[in-house]
Amino acid sequence: MNHQITAIIKKDIRSITSNKRMFITLLIVPLVLTIFVPSVFILVFHFMPENNTELLELLELLPLSIQDGSTQRSIIKLILNYIMPIFFLLIPIMAASVMAAASFVGEKEKRTLETLLYCPLSLKQIFRSKVMASFFLSMFVSAVSFAAMLVVTEAEAYMTTNSFVLPDLKWLLIMLLVSPAISLIAITLIVRVSARAQSVEDAEQSAVFLILPILLLIVGQFTGVFLISSWILLAIGVLCGLLAALLLKKCMDNFKYETLLK
Amino acid sequence: MNAVTLNGLSKTYSNGKKAVDSVNICLSAGEVFGFLGPNGAGKTTTVKLLNGMLTPTEGSCTVFDINPAANPQKAHALSGVVTEHAQMYDAMTGMENLVFYGSLYGINPSESEERGKALLRELELTYAENQKLASYSTGMRQRLSLARALIHQPRILFLDEPTSGLDPESAQNVHRMIHRLASEHGITVFLCTHQLRYAQEICTRYGLMEEGRLLAEGTLDTLRLQICSGMTLKVKASRIPETLLCKNTAPGAFELQIQSEEEIPAIVRKIVEQGGDVYHISAELPSLEDIYFHLTGKEQTT
Repeated sequence: MNHQITAIIKKDIRSITSNKRMFITLLIVPLVLTIFVPSVFILVFHFMPENNTELLELLELLPLSIQDGSTQRSIIKLILNYIMPIFFLLIPIMAASVMAAASFVGEKEKRTLETLLYCPLSLKQIFRSKVMASFFLSMFVSAVSFAAMLVVTEAEAYMTTNSFVLPDLKWLLIMLLVSPAISLIAITLIVRVSARAQSVEDAEQSAVFLILPILLLIVGQFTGVFLISSWILLAIGVLCGLLAALLLKKCMDNFKYETLLK
Repeated sequence: MNAVTLNGLSKTYSNGKKAVDSVNICLSAGEVFGFLGPNGAGKTTTVKLLNGMLTPTEGSCTVFDINPAANPQKAHALSGVVTEHAQMYDAMTGMENLVFYGSLYGINPSESEERGKALLRELELTYAENQKLASYSTGMRQRLSLARALIHQPRILFLDEPTSGLDPESAQNVHRMIHRLASEHGITVFLCTHQLRYAQEICTRYGLMEEGRLLAEGTLDTLRLQICSGMTLKVKASRIPETLLCKNTAPGAFELQIQSEEEIPAIVRKIVEQGGDVYHISAELPSLEDIYFHLTGKEQTT
């Protein structure tokens, strides 16, 4: 990576972190999702009467791998390894969208893009550095959110069951494959609309469409249509990865001076 | 090698508007070229074409033999651009902005800072180097843009209305700096402006644009020759002999066209011999403004 690309990446990340309003937007959703949601689930189940037959009947319907000795441990395992992975996918989408919108449309809105275009960098270099800045920040927010969720969930698991409940292989797939792939899809979607979007908010709204498939996954799992597995996540990850690569290529081809300055 | 060459350059936008129409210009290195005309004349489009931001519909252009449409990166490395739409980052200080843009030109931070300090001193912005750009006035922003455009020591400067929003004193400083950059450092300046009086002070050559067409191009003397060969003599006198063909512009004020200053003593003699008293006499060559209005007037009637 050359110095020019590094300079743009640093500048883009700094512009987000120094903008309080945007930085708070970027932090609130991950904090609600990774700390508040699992805590509510765990505490609700903890304070439920232990001889709740309806709940026990429901747990018996789940695969044997989830059933783990005590009801409390099974529930925490279900929350950590089946419910949270899907909720977690919202984080890279949101972080990548906020960052990409600020990085592409924000520069256009504040009339700083033209100055950048007059510098001796190829459009490919500018495009690459902006995609990388959005991607790095999205991955950073995802990693911090994962760490926060793990600390809170494990602490709650220990307090309620006197033991830890470890994350399984699905988290590895999410962190290394699915999250990076959907971050890139979110970034390319924002870049695609950046030419016609008049404001950062306009661009951010386009990422809403990415949330719909995630909502379907959440609804599908809660209604018992399917249960997320490592294989499903691997398939989603590979598909999203291929789609991201294709979209990035197409986006780069449409990245032209004349379209950008419209 | 020409600094700038425009060869039948035309640009028609997708909405059908012909912004630049078959413009031919050749500039040598070190010239200060005033590209003049009202808003919408095609000046900014020409600057964008010369920087590869737009692709010509017809014709071609080069900057130091580089085709900006084919090699924008190479052209950008040689040029500094100041336009109304090319802004900098509000969340960064003046110096941080200069160091950031310096890094995009491959200059290390300490060198950028050193050059930045010198430029800010020259543009009288040293006091604001550590202030966030958000607190800068329009004039301060404009001067910082000029510093940004000069941070990599370009061979050519494209300045699109560089003094808009500046108070007369700051505008004068900027013009002095442009003049010095050309005369001492040999930087070619392509200056787009509609402020004809300022342009006349600092430019060595001019191109007058209207509705995308180049009406005339050349030095002030060659442009003067295109509209008339002589000068205007302004006389304030009690009376003027009828034999002198002159225009009465106000009570006791007269104007007449002469070919050279040699004719003035004979005219004064004639007035005095006919019993007239002369209070004031001056010979004026047509200004850039006179030339511009004359040319645009001629165009409108044809």
